[in-house]
Amino acid sequence: MNVKLNNRDPVYLQIVRYFKEKIAIGEFEPGEEIPSRRELANRMKINPNTAQRAYKEMEEQGLIYTEKNHPSKITTDKMTLGMVREELLVEAVDTFVTSVRSINVPVDELLDLVKEKYTGNDDKEA
Amino acid sequence: MKNYLKLVNFEFNRVAKLFVVLLGITFVVQMLGVFFEAKKYLDMANQQIYEEMVPKAQFLQMYGQMSFMEVVRSAWFLAPIALCVAGVAFYIFLIWYRDWVGKNTFIYRLLMLPTTRLNIFYAKITTILVMTFGLVAFQIILLPIEKWIFNGMIPIEFRNDMGLIEVVTSMPELSLIIPNSLLQLVLYYGAGLLAVSILFTGILLERSFKWKGIFAGLLYGAIAVVVFISPLLLQDFVLDGFFYPIELFMIEIVMGLILLVASIWLSGFLLKKKITV
Amino acid sequence: MIEVKEIEKKYGRKKILKGVSFTANKGEITCLIGLNGVGKTTILNAIMALTPINKGQILIDGEPLKEKTFEKITFIPDAITMLPQMKIAEAMEFMKDFYTCWNQDRATELLGFFRLNKDDRISSLSKGNTAKVNLLLGLALDVDYVLMDEPFSGIDMFSREEIANVFTSHLIENRGVIITTHEIGDIEHLIDKVVLIDNGLVTKEFNAEEARENEGKSVIDVMREVYIG
Repeated sequence: MNVKLNNRDPVYLQIVRYFKEKIAIGEFEPGEEIPSRRELANRMKINPNTAQRAYKEMEEQGLIYTEKNHPSKITTDKMTLGMVREELLVEAVDTFVTSVRSINVPVDELLDLVKEKYTGNDDKEA
Repeated sequence: MKNYLKLVNFEFNRVAKLFVVLLGITFVVQMLGVFFEAKKYLDMANQQIYEEMVPKAQFLQMYGQMSFMEVVRSAWFLAPIALCVAGVAFYIFLIWYRDWVGKNTFIYRLLMLPTTRLNIFYAKITTILVMTFGLVAFQIILLPIEKWIFNGMIPIEFRNDMGLIEVVTSMPELSLIIPNSLLQLVLYYGAGLLAVSILFTGILLERSFKWKGIFAGLLYGAIAVVVFISPLLLQDFVLDGFFYPIELFMIEIVMGLILLVASIWLSGFLLKKKITV
Repeated sequence: MIEVKEIEKKYGRKKILKGVSFTANKGEITCLIGLNGVGKTTILNAIMALTPINKGQILIDGEPLKEKTFEKITFIPDAITMLPQMKIAEAMEFMKDFYTCWNQDRATELLGFFRLNKDDRISSLSKGNTAKVNLLLGLALDVDYVLMDEPFSGIDMFSREEIANVFTSHLIENRGVIITTHEIGDIEHLIDKVVLIDNGLVTKEFNAEEARENEGKSVIDVMREVYIG
């Protein structure tokens, strides 16, 4: 568990995002136990209050749940899990679209390029 | 109270090394004094009697008997006492300044103890007292031992035997540190305690107000002295011997107590409100 | 809560503090930031009644400091507050003797945490280890508030890391902490609240996470704005 935190975004949201990414790629499995607040603070080198706040936010968003006297766990709710993936995806695409729009490329040309690059990258990584 | 005792114990341990060194020096130098003074006399007697063939009776007539008093009057004996007095006087200042000076910031800890800060004052003054009494007690123990060695070295016919009490009372320097009545003890050491508490107050004034504090400390000391001797001055110059000596004596005691209480109060105030690390 | 209200402090004619006010809450890490010599240490000393103030008031949980308050608040200055000739064990013994809030288990844990040897003499320790002993003596007290003066300055990198770890651990949890620093660098993510001090005044008091959330600014961004304008 290692993440480079930036100084400008709220730390608790960076933590939440980190969890979402891990959930989306399946590194955190549904129902998996997650570290205690204290442990998280320690590993991420953040203030325990911030860790607490991140967990509270994730609980509110339904990403994790806590039964009495048990460690918190990743949600097993399929819909929430699906939404996490979608949210990250939409967010990334949004960012991409915003930056690419200024170049004013026809959509088809753009899609071809995306396809080429995306699969090309896949090959390289594989 | 418990914290006070713990602090006294702690403060005393801090000075233990100096204390032991002073005891050691006193012991060694005074013992050497007994030995050399006695030997000096014996050498002279031997020379006169066995080499110059002076008859014993005539020798005694010429040079007199040797008395323990001569040992006590010698520098061998008095120098270590002076050193101890100087050591205590020096430590009266050091006991405070060592907590501030140099890399040492122990004063932070002392001032942050969950106990009244006056306990620091009481503990330090008690340490000075204990140290003083310790040195005096050691001297009192040492005297008969020295006398015994002295007696062992000088044959009885050459010896003018004096009681130890006689020796002490005939030496003003000694009777000051070893008083021969309870009243004297209370008076001498009471006056000493008062002097130390006034010095402590002066030190705390300096620690609280720095340069201005030195001035305030000197002023406080001067005022204390004037207040203390004012009844005597009044008696002599204004009232023309109005009080009986015993009355004057009582007034002086009351004055001393007032000054002691004032010093403690002022020190307590400074420690609580004005001291700075 | 520690409330510092309009405190003023003069050294001779020079005014070091010109009406400083801020609060520090329990369960939060409050960081006093300012260049060297702006009076951060003086503020901590004033909170602990280690130096008198000329004006203003300081309240700890609504009360002025008393002797028993030292069982509730502690101060870790930038120099060790024990005699150099003492062994670490003796220094711990001293604390245990005088403070009812001394927590021996925690002290032992801290010895391990900092990898210190209790039979070492304080005078023989490296700078980093001396700082750790100083921290140990303060953190092993079960107090609600801990003040630390420049816990990171002049210390080697690895010791810094170990000390920073303290702030993310249960050793600090639920306590109110005030630390001073002249460089925020490595602790930006650790602190809750920032009090910027310049020229004897509080120039800004803000919550670090709120500044990031509401304005998208890092602590350094806010500082830059305040100092450079």
